[in-house]
Amino acid sequence: MTLSLFDQFASPALLGIPLIAIALTFPWILLPSSTSRWLDNRLSTLQSWFLVRFTHQLLQPLNFGGHKWALVLTSLMVYIITLNLLGLLPYTFTPTTQLAMNLGLAVPLWLATVVLGLRNNPTNALGHLLPHATPTVLIPALIIIETISLFIRPLALGVRLTANLTAGHLLMQLIATAVFVLTSLMPPVAMITSVVLLLLTLLEMAVAMIQAYVFVLLLSLYLQENI
Amino acid sequence: MLSRLSVLSANALKSSSPLGAGLVQASRSLQTSSQSLAPVPPLPEMGSKVRHGIFPEELFQLLYPKTGVTGPYMLGAGLITYLLSKELYVINHETLIALSVGSVIVFAVKKYGPSVAAFADKLNEDKVAKAQEVKDGAIASLTQAIEDEKKEQWRVDGRSMLFDAKRNNVAMILETNYRERLHMVTNEVKRRLDYQVALQDLQRRMAQEHMVNWVEKNVVSSITPQQEKESIAKCITDLKALAKATQSKAAA
Repeated sequence: MTLSLFDQFASPALLGIPLIAIALTFPWILLPSSTSRWLDNRLSTLQSWFLVRFTHQLLQPLNFGGHKWALVLTSLMVYIITLNLLGLLPYTFTPTTQLAMNLGLAVPLWLATVVLGLRNNPTNALGHLLPHATPTVLIPALIIIETISLFIRPLALGVRLTANLTAGHLLMQLIATAVFVLTSLMPPVAMITSVVLLLLTLLEMAVAMIQAYVFVLLLSLYLQENI
Repeated sequence: MLSRLSVLSANALKSSSPLGAGLVQASRSLQTSSQSLAPVPPLPEMGSKVRHGIFPEELFQLLYPKTGVTGPYMLGAGLITYLLSKELYVINHETLIALSVGSVIVFAVKKYGPSVAAFADKLNEDKVAKAQEVKDGAIASLTQAIEDEKKEQWRVDGRSMLFDAKRNNVAMILETNYRERLHMVTNEVKRRLDYQVALQDLQRRMAQEHMVNWVEKNVVSSITPQQEKESIAKCITDLKALAKATQSKAAA
């Protein structure tokens, strides 16, 4: 069967056995768990240093009640970043290219922030629907617009992550195919295109990390508004 | 039996590949009974040696007796050639992606690897240094306490000298006091005696004066008027004679 460019995003299966579960557990397998030692090896030390710094920086603008979310947000960040970076290796499947997965991560977490806000501080939560100092004439329209923007947030979160990663992977496949084909036809053009491929690889690595961070940062922002 | 086999094979893989280490980590979290916790095997301080970043040194040592130095490389080349010629591995665009991603990873590791490793080592060293500092501080304070105690003991030894000096002081003060009082007594007695002497002198003097006055009075009262006239006439004749003698002396 001829492969199209979109077949890399199909859920992987081997002889009918879905491999998505293994793909989803890779971050857990590959990253070191916390040891009971006082002095760890380099990888564990670096990991714990990074986690401490990241958690500290993420939770700084949040008040004390928001600190309960530390574990969720940090582990989410590490999970998404590992999945994204692993997906850059050849012949790997990136679960975060699936819209279902990203919406499955975004909608519950966003909904949790909204429900928390409405339960604990309903006046403040509803107050966010009207920005400061709007002219009285615009109030009805603005409330409708703000409500729409509120409900579009989970969609935006999920689709942002999906679109970025899918687009990146697609581009890499396209340009790699172009280089592959051009090598026999016009080698100098192929060289230039391979330079483009190299730059794109760098971009994709950056995008992988940044998109994960943006996902978690926006969630913490929504939390800040509501807690 | 199969689980033991898997653990053994996982242990063999644990040297350098991250997947091997990850498998050991994952299986270790499933071993929760206390029997598997002790004795904990000590982890090596540094990872085992690898060649070209991923191939463990043990592989080269394994093949050295039979195939020498170039053995593993021939094995690698042969394997790759076999896979390519039999089209077990097809070169397509993913290969190019693998090449670019691989080159980026290799470049990053070569460039930033040593500094990241040094940073991780420094984090651990700082931990050790902090604990060492606490320990050294405790040892220093205890040594200082020992020295202070010794000094106090030496001070206690010297206390008897201090008491002797104080005793001497007190004895000197007592002696001085006694001598002062002695002086005072002597002075007082001398004063009393001087008074008596002065009293006697006064008495003698008064007696002498009284006697002189009595003698004078008697003498003056014994001079009769007849005697007085005769003495006055004699004095006048004497005076005249003297006057004549003086005048003659003056004229001569």
